[in-house]
Formats: sequence, C-alpha cells, structure tokens
Amino acid sequence: MTLPRLLLRGYFFSVLGIGVGVAGLVALGAMAERITRFIEGGDRFVLGQISVAGEGIGMGTGFTAGGLLTASKIAEITRVPGVAGVQAQVMLPLSTTTSHFLTLTQELVLGMDLAASMPGRYYQGLPVRAGRFLHPGDRGSVVVGADFAAARRLGVGGRLRLGGMEFAVIGMLDKTLTAPDRFAIIGIEDARELWLQRDPMLVQVLRGSAAALTQGDLNTGALVVWHSGEDPDGLARRIKGVVSGINVTIPSELSRLLRTSTAFFSALLFGIGSLGLVIGGLTLSNTVTAAVFERIRDFGIKRALGATDLQLLREILREALVVSMAGCVAGVALALVIGWAVETRVVHEGQQLFVFSPRLFLFTLAFSLLLGSMAATYATMRIVRVSPAEAIRRGA
Amino acid sequence: MVVRAAGLRKTYHGKAGEPVPVLGGVDLEVKAGEFVAVVGASGSGKSTLLNLLGLLEGADAGEIWFDGERVSHLSRRAQCRVRGMSIGYVFQCFLLIEEMTALDNVLLAARYVARDERQAEREAMALMERLGVSHRRNHYPSQLSGGEQQRVAYCRAVLNDPPLVLADEPTGNLDEEHAQVILTELQGRVRERGTSAILVTHRPETSALANRALRLRNGRIEPS
Repeated sequence: MTLPRLLLRGYFFSVLGIGVGVAGLVALGAMAERITRFIEGGDRFVLGQISVAGEGIGMGTGFTAGGLLTASKIAEITRVPGVAGVQAQVMLPLSTTTSHFLTLTQELVLGMDLAASMPGRYYQGLPVRAGRFLHPGDRGSVVVGADFAAARRLGVGGRLRLGGMEFAVIGMLDKTLTAPDRFAIIGIEDARELWLQRDPMLVQVLRGSAAALTQGDLNTGALVVWHSGEDPDGLARRIKGVVSGINVTIPSELSRLLRTSTAFFSALLFGIGSLGLVIGGLTLSNTVTAAVFERIRDFGIKRALGATDLQLLREILREALVVSMAGCVAGVALALVIGWAVETRVVHEGQQLFVFSPRLFLFTLAFSLLLGSMAATYATMRIVRVSPAEAIRRGA
Repeated sequence: MVVRAAGLRKTYHGKAGEPVPVLGGVDLEVKAGEFVAVVGASGSGKSTLLNLLGLLEGADAGEIWFDGERVSHLSRRAQCRVRGMSIGYVFQCFLLIEEMTALDNVLLAARYVARDERQAEREAMALMERLGVSHRRNHYPSQLSGGEQQRVAYCRAVLNDPPLVLADEPTGNLDEEHAQVILTELQGRVRERGTSAILVTHRPETSALANRALRLRNGRIEPS
C-alpha cells in the first residue's frame, strides 16, 4: 500500500503525530549524542598524552594548570627513559573573568612549542578544516577551533585580537566535539608575550629574578609522548619519580577524573536518552494503536468478508510500517529543522547542541519500526478478539 | 445451501451489566433456493438473528448448520473461511470503506478468499455494469448516492457467488425505485442460481416478495 493512499485513508494526522514523537526522540538523542562525543573526545584527547605542570596552584594562569614549568624541568623530563618528545605549552583562559569556571567548556588560548618533535602522539595534528596548522617559527598567526571560529564568524584570512595582540587567522580546525573546538592556538612565543601583557607581576618577577628566570621558562605545562610500546601510566609514574617539583597527570587517572567531572553529563545523557525513548516511544505506539482502533469498523467489515486474523495482522502491520516509516522520516526532518534553527540561533555563542549521527538515525528507524509493529500487533490482537458485528457497531 | 439453526439464544448486557435477552431459542430452516423474509417489530432481534446466522457474532447457546456442517462451533479461522466463501452480506447502512473506491470496495470480497485478481476484477466490473454503477467505479462512497452505495454493497456481497445472502434491511435507507433494483436482483439471484437468501425487513411489501416470512416476537419465531 502506497503512502499517498494511506494518507488518503486518514493516516495524515497519524504520520504527523508519529513525526512529532520521533522528532522529540531524535532531537533528544542528538543532544545525548553530543554529550557522548564530548566525553569520548575528551577521553581520547587526554589518553593520548601525559600532561605535566610545575608544582603549584596555577594562580598566574587562571587555574588552567599548575605552577611554572621551567625550561630546565622540561629538559629533565626529556631525558627520562621512554619519553619520545616533550612539548612546552602555555594555556591561558581567554577571558580572565571566567577563568575559575570549568576549563572543559571555557575558551582557551593555547601556545604550543611547535619546534618540539612529538612522535607517536595520539593527536598527530589537530584536524584542520581550512587553511593550515601552525609551523615552527610562525608569529602573529592563530589557528582557531570550530566553535571558537563560529562564535566570532572567523574565517581563514581574518584577524583576531587576543589581549592587546593582533593575530592573522591562518587555519580553522574541524569539529572535534571536545576541548580544542574552543581553542585559539598560537605559537608559544606569542603566548608568552600575551601572558606577560596580562600579568604585570610576572614581568616584575622576570626582571628581578635572582634565579635568572627567562621567557623560555614561562610554560604552564608540557605534553609528553612516549616511545611505541611504552606504558603511558608507567612512564608518567617514572617521570614523577625522577623529576622533582612537577605535577604529572597519569593518563588513566586523568581519564577517570574527566569521567568523574562529567558524571553529571553522563547522568544527564541517560536522562535525556530515556526521556527521548519514553516520549517518542509512547507517542509513536499510541498514535499507531489509536489509528488502528479508529478504523475498527473497517476491520469489522473486512472480517465479515472473510479476513482471517493473520490476513488482518499482515494488512495492519504493512500499513503501520509504512505509516511509522513516513512518520519517522517526517520526524527526522522536523528534528533536523529544529536542530538547524536552534543552532543557527546559539551557534554565535560557540555552542553545538546536537549531533545527528548515522547511528542515531538508524536506531530511530529501527526503534520506530519495531514499536510501530508492536503497537499494530497489539491493536490487531485486541480487534480480532471482538466479533465482527461488535467491531462494526463500535466503529459506527 | 440448507441453513439450519436450533435453539439460538443471545443476551446482551446493558451498561450496568443488566442482562438484555434478545433471542430466546430460535429454530429455523432455510432450504436451498429459498428466499425468506424475517419480520418483526423494532428490537425483536431480527438483526441479531442475522448476525448469528452470518457468524458475525457468537450465540450464547444453540447451533447453526450449513449443509450439514456445524459452522457455529468451528474455529475462528474456519469461520472466516465460511464467511468469505459461503455468505454475502448486505447491510442497511451499506458499510462501504470510505477511503476505497467503489471498485476496490467490491473487490475487497475477493481479497480474503485467495481469488485470482484479474478474474475477480472482470466479474466485479460485469456485476457493476449490470447494477448500473460501473461508471462510478473510481468514485469514493461519499461521492455516491444512497442507491448507488447499496448497489456497490450488493456487488460486493455476491462477487464470490455465495450460496447464502444475508440482507439486513437492505432497502431501509433507499427510495422505492432503488429499493426495487436491489430486491429484484436478490430475487432473481435466488431463482436463477438456486442460492438462499434471508432478508430482514419491516416493510410488508418487501416481505411479500419472499417465498415465506418468519415473524420474530419476544425473541422467538412465531408459529405461522
């Protein structure tokens, strides 16, 4: 039976009803998918590196890391057996007023020592969507994360002012759905200058330092990568044991910390997913059941004409599947429109609320068809228990 | 086909669950080639009797036999086969499916009895031609007049050439002219094909067309 004929048979509002339910399911599912990607992406990010910072609470950097990690400490770390490369970094919150908030969601300026060799790093290079990534020696250039760029309508060739410094946007990252989406990445020398501009106290410390602190010592941390076959947790512990005065984050512990800090999101994800299933599922099954019961008179007539339970079930199932499928397509389209409308509105704030993944669509389709079939089967079983005469009377 | 019923009883229940007896033990026999009218006052149980004979609902007690087969006690599936192959129904309110065209409504009768579709369509068209509704085959019931709807319903009832036609006030909603078309068809069919027909009516002139009339009173058939 074709869809136009079914629509003609009064299924239009059923398709619409299912569409609304499915749209709810898909939209909520896409939000859940977004959170899942955030957690998974963050996990992948932290498990691919050992993070090291100097001892301290990182007041100077706005609590994005520990204390200073000097050049000599970095050199010491480089000599630890198993270490394949160390990359000094400066990580600063973009806005000092939000620096005390959750670093996973705030915008950050990341200065990277691009001259450092980083073989074997999980993120060999961050995925560049347009332009190019930074090269060693690049000054006054910035590569921006996807959300960072979207929030400011930045494109390659654009200009970006960070603190008192002007940067040329030379690259834009692809969406990673995790922290780098909100990064502005610059060379470490530029980052150090930016840091000094922001923190006059640091300038005084540098000028008057008896310990001959240089600009090269201004690092908020470093990333360590390991030789192939090396156990990253074991190496992290070894670094901690060999080099004094540093904080070493063990990858698996960081992952655990990340998961603990995102436990709220996980709960939210579960809640959203469950809510989506309940709302979408109830709407869909209720609509299909109601649509079948609405036509009880017709089924009574068909039974009077000799339709068996099985023939009726096949007929109703076929109709329910076509209607569920149509409702599913309508719902997905509606959810995409909702997602597009919402994101168009909030994307300027650098947010992505929905991830419409193929697995979400496949799940929705399977869920819709399964539930549609179950609802149709239930309705048929109820109908065939009623005598044809009673069915005709009830539908009259 | 010989239709025989013995001791048919049926009681409905009101909203408060109170019993409403309708048939209190009906016995009847309709021979092959016989056109029988069932008459009686409103609420006397005429339609209920027709529903029971047509296996559209079950009796509380009693038996129904078609040509020696006790159809009242067949399984639900087997009763479907009997309904599809052996009985044709014509209802007062036509009972056409609104979202199907006139032709599709007629062909519905063939769908559930595994008939060859082309053959069924040819026969349906021939029937509709004879009843004067073939030009309305692609119209929906709402686009047809009452008389046309009933003629379409009649075509559906006889498409499978059932040995028994049950007609519940088939002319109740029709004017004299259209009523006559249906009754003449029914009468001719019984006479020419030797099939049986049981007609429920409250019109004396309609019952006069039957071979005999059975009067239902207080849930029983009055002795003639």
